[in-house]
Amino acid sequence: MVGPGRQERSWIRGARAGSVSDLEALFREHWPRAHRAAYLVVQDAAAAEDIAQEAFLAAVRNLDRFDRRRPFGPWLHRIVVNRAIDWARARSLRRELAEIPGSEDFDTGDLGTFSEGVAAGLASLPPDQRAVIVLRYLLEYTPGEIAELLELPRGTVNSRLRRGLDRLEAIVDREQR
Amino acid sequence: MSDDIKRSLQRIQAPDEIEAQRRGWVLVRESFADREPLSWQRRNRRPLLVAALALLVLLAAFLSPPGRALVGSVRDAVTPDKSTPKPKPALVALPAGGSLLVNSGKGPWIVHPDGSMRLLGPWWEGAWSLNAEHVAVTRAHRLAALTPDGTIKWALSRPKLLHGARWSLEPASECCRISYLNGRQLRVVAGDGTGDAPLRDVVGPVAPAWEPSVTRRLAFSTIDGRIELVDVDTTRTVWLTAPGDPPTQLVWSDDGQRLLALGERSLRVFDANGNKLWAIGMPVGPSGAVFVRKSHRFILIRYSPATQRSDLVLFQAEDTPGEPRFLYSATGDFGTLAISQNGQWLLVGWVNADQWLFLRLTSAKVESVSNIVEQFGGSPSAPVERAFPKSVSWCCPASP
Repeated sequence: MVGPGRQERSWIRGARAGSVSDLEALFREHWPRAHRAAYLVVQDAAAAEDIAQEAFLAAVRNLDRFDRRRPFGPWLHRIVVNRAIDWARARSLRRELAEIPGSEDFDTGDLGTFSEGVAAGLASLPPDQRAVIVLRYLLEYTPGEIAELLELPRGTVNSRLRRGLDRLEAIVDREQR
Repeated sequence: MSDDIKRSLQRIQAPDEIEAQRRGWVLVRESFADREPLSWQRRNRRPLLVAALALLVLLAAFLSPPGRALVGSVRDAVTPDKSTPKPKPALVALPAGGSLLVNSGKGPWIVHPDGSMRLLGPWWEGAWSLNAEHVAVTRAHRLAALTPDGTIKWALSRPKLLHGARWSLEPASECCRISYLNGRQLRVVAGDGTGDAPLRDVVGPVAPAWEPSVTRRLAFSTIDGRIELVDVDTTRTVWLTAPGDPPTQLVWSDDGQRLLALGERSLRVFDANGNKLWAIGMPVGPSGAVFVRKSHRFILIRYSPATQRSDLVLFQAEDTPGEPRFLYSATGDFGTLAISQNGQWLLVGWVNADQWLFLRLTSAKVESVSNIVEQFGGSPSAPVERAFPKSVSWCCPASP
């Protein structure tokens, strides 16, 4: 993971000193991807919003202890993705217990067939595979960085990526046919 | 395949993303205001030691004549900007004719040229009809058409939150349409409240914009940031652009030949056929755009997080953006833009200073008015970022 840019360091320094505008700049820079990552993992708009909010609130609480030489994004994404996995697992468990067949489809609007296939495919993956796909292809981390973020062996990350991609490809092919 | 997946993932949006971000920021800001930071001394123990040593060295240097000269330069640098005018304490008159429609936290207000003001009621937002004969207002699930004295002509209710109401640009209210968003659904109703019907089921959250000079054509954003122009009578798509940064503002030039799609991260400029003329990246922060009247030039707010200043920059919506021309700059956020009916004055909301600036575009003249929050019914103790009026439209025809 590369170090933070000068601008981001300046925002963190400003926010630690009490500057609302620096905090806002940091928020605006990181919220959209954090929120979308949460949504793609949990597939529930309200839960995704809660998770992104909690992650930012944790960031605010720990601002004074945060090492500003380190990049803010991976630290935030670690919280977001781990909470999202926990939430999605808990929901899966609740569904199994209640035997609710409910659909986990995304609200895809008019995204086009391929994207709809990807959305449907993602919904069918287990949460931990979904998370590595999101970290790799939405947030653009390398497998090594994902291993570090999720505290997993790199081989586990690679195999989850491979299995997830294979399954996505199969579903997208089927949707497009 | 993995590139396709990447592109697809980046196109999937959570529902209501912009509103979620707004709600998130309110919570984060409140939490930030409540936090008890580490004491300055504890956080800066080591830098304090270094600073003390540096101070000793500097003190010695300042005793010399070059050191005193440096002190003078620093004093000049931190003295308030000489170009910033002394503000008037209240809005006593507009510098040009026409009326303002101001959307504040208390509701929409009409401000007349002599500075007199009328609150239209506890609506969340309002928009002028073309010649300011009516105002379309929304609150929660309700849409209504009002006369400028606040009388309700008609109202309707829909199941989701209504917002982004806009009058079509036709001269008489009976012949007009109002477009509005019912959650993520785009709907259109006649100016007399009849014939309400959906136009598209899922669209982006930005308020749609009626094309000037062509009857009943409406530009709106799809959820993947495409801009679509639709003929409202036939519901036929006239053109559709490629996907892009979801816009937060759509602005037509007066002649309907240019359309700006301003997003959080980019600005796209289109011609009347939906061809992209050019696009630029936008820095993170508050932004806004308004066309100069009867022109393809437009003024853009550009915020610099590094310097925490906002600039007003003039571009041209032609094949190239031209050389950007800086018009004005100040510390903090510019929140609103509106241009007078004669095209000579630009109203700029300067949020942090709780001021409106009136810039005369034909000269270097700037007038400012302070205490904007209080004048529009906001509490002086509320954070100014929250209480400052969100938008202003200067009629007629309404701007932007």
